Amino acid sequence: MSTGPQLTFETPERAVLSLDVAGLGGRALAYLSDLALIFLFWVTALLLYSFGGDLLRRVQELSAVAQVVAAAAFFCTGWTWDVLWETLWRGQTPGKRLAGIRVVRTDGAPVGFVESVVRNVSRAVELPLLYAPGVLAVALTRRHQRLGDVLAGTLVVKDRAYDLSRYAAPGALDPRWSALRGRAGAALAPADFERLSDFLRRRPALAPAARARLASKIASALAARAGAGDVSQADAEPFLEALAAAYASEGAP
Amino acid sequence: MSLDASSRGPNIGAFVRRRRASWERLHALAGRVDTGTLSLAEVEELDRLYRRAAGDLAHARAAFPGSDAEGYLSQVTARAYASLYRRRRARPGAARDFVARRIPETFLAHLPLFGLAAAFLAAGMAAGALAVAFDPAAAASLVPRAVRDAVAGGRMWTDSLLGVAPGVEGSLIAHNNIAVTGLVFALGLTGGIGTAWLLFANGLLLGAVAVHCVQRGLGRPFFSFVAAHGPAELLCVLLAGQAGFLLASALVAPGEWPRGEALVRRGREAARLLALVVPLLAVVGVVESAISPGATFPGPVKAGLGALLAAAVLLYLVRPAARARAAA
Repeated sequence: MSTGPQLTFETPERAVLSLDVAGLGGRALAYLSDLALIFLFWVTALLLYSFGGDLLRRVQELSAVAQVVAAAAFFCTGWTWDVLWETLWRGQTPGKRLAGIRVVRTDGAPVGFVESVVRNVSRAVELPLLYAPGVLAVALTRRHQRLGDVLAGTLVVKDRAYDLSRYAAPGALDPRWSALRGRAGAALAPADFERLSDFLRRRPALAPAARARLASKIASALAARAGAGDVSQADAEPFLEALAAAYASEGAP
Repeated sequence: MSLDASSRGPNIGAFVRRRRASWERLHALAGRVDTGTLSLAEVEELDRLYRRAAGDLAHARAAFPGSDAEGYLSQVTARAYASLYRRRRARPGAARDFVARRIPETFLAHLPLFGLAAAFLAAGMAAGALAVAFDPAAAASLVPRAVRDAVAGGRMWTDSLLGVAPGVEGSLIAHNNIAVTGLVFALGLTGGIGTAWLLFANGLLLGAVAVHCVQRGLGRPFFSFVAAHGPAELLCVLLAGQAGFLLASALVAPGEWPRGEALVRRGREAARLLALVVPLLAVVGVVESAISPGATFPGPVKAGLGALLAAAVLLYLVRPAARARAAA
């Protein structure tokens, strides 16, 4: 889990929940993605429409009702895109989903229509100033709130994808370290197992030299604790895999 | 970290494996709440699983702080909490109640702030009108150059509005109106100073332009232009001013709450006013671009439409008070 700011709240059942607050990067990515989507929508719409000939004349030829509808549609995509998505899709716009963030109220409840209107209407102040007040507010406030967030009592939290498969019981154990079975639990604290499985999951992304160095460092520290004797550098990763597997296969099924 | 092998704590893998299926079931059920396809038995199961997950979370927080298991549990429990405790939005009465009662009640509860906004706007209009009336040269500094040039040529600057597609124009006008109105609202954060200044400045402009047009013999076309959309537009600005002063009141006189908390509470009230202002502005924008310019519609028709629009909104806002008085 991150060590950044968190939203912590208590449910009526006295469960204390905490969610990671999203920062400037995720929010900017979400905003730009939404902007691109709206832009794409209008380019496509206008392109299709222009196949019919002179665009401006056709607009003028529309009936008064159709002109109103066209104006309303244009108006809606700019100003209510966020409100509609956030209200109907549990605090996410397509851009926010892409960036893995979500708007919630400061008490952890999903964002409602009124809050969404407040936080989005206040963009009227930020847009003419190129979002400078928004960026400053997100950077400076404790819970990374934009001006509209402060007014609406909302904030943006991260929606992380956790993978529980690291805790799954593995199949066979490397026979060279079958002795680890039954002893891994005593050698590893839960936090050690977390770090170990973090490494095993992330190692494909590491540079080969750094990966080997890290593996042998972790292996030599843990081998001593598990009483497995010396582990050669080449065996470091198989040993760590076996240790994690032994740990995960202990206890209940 | 203790080196005593016997005290390294419970096995996190075993904990997750034991409880994982029920967490994933909870996640799936919570995701289906929105679709409204849960049976009664599934709702009860959701509730039961949620309570157990909350217990698991407390255990994970104590035994495995900072682990992925804790993060996952926190997220799943929060998701289920949000599903179980959401204010039901599908209830048809809620939206009607919001429109029929909450908005007018908020307006009436803070009527003095509306009066304050009206006072600043009226003061600006009076100042602008008097300045140009007594010294026509003041128009040089109070009336925008584009307007002055058009008036000097003996035509309304709004005639050109008909030259482009009205649909597009309407949306641009709505954008501009919303930006100004939003600014009037948000500048409440300056303790009301910015809101008061913006109201006064807009009044000043309006008063000066009106008198300037009258002096140049364009009084009739000017009032014909503003008659249809003007009253409702002014109402929008005043409601936004009321909302802005509501924010300001949270900063200046927060009452028993800390300022931040007061800001959130009154911000929600102010939002109810904005929920009326924004759609009303859209209507105003359409009227301003489609009906106001030119002579397609005769002056009296425009004036009648403008008066009707503003009166309808005002009537809607004061209706609860009238009804309460009738009931008493």
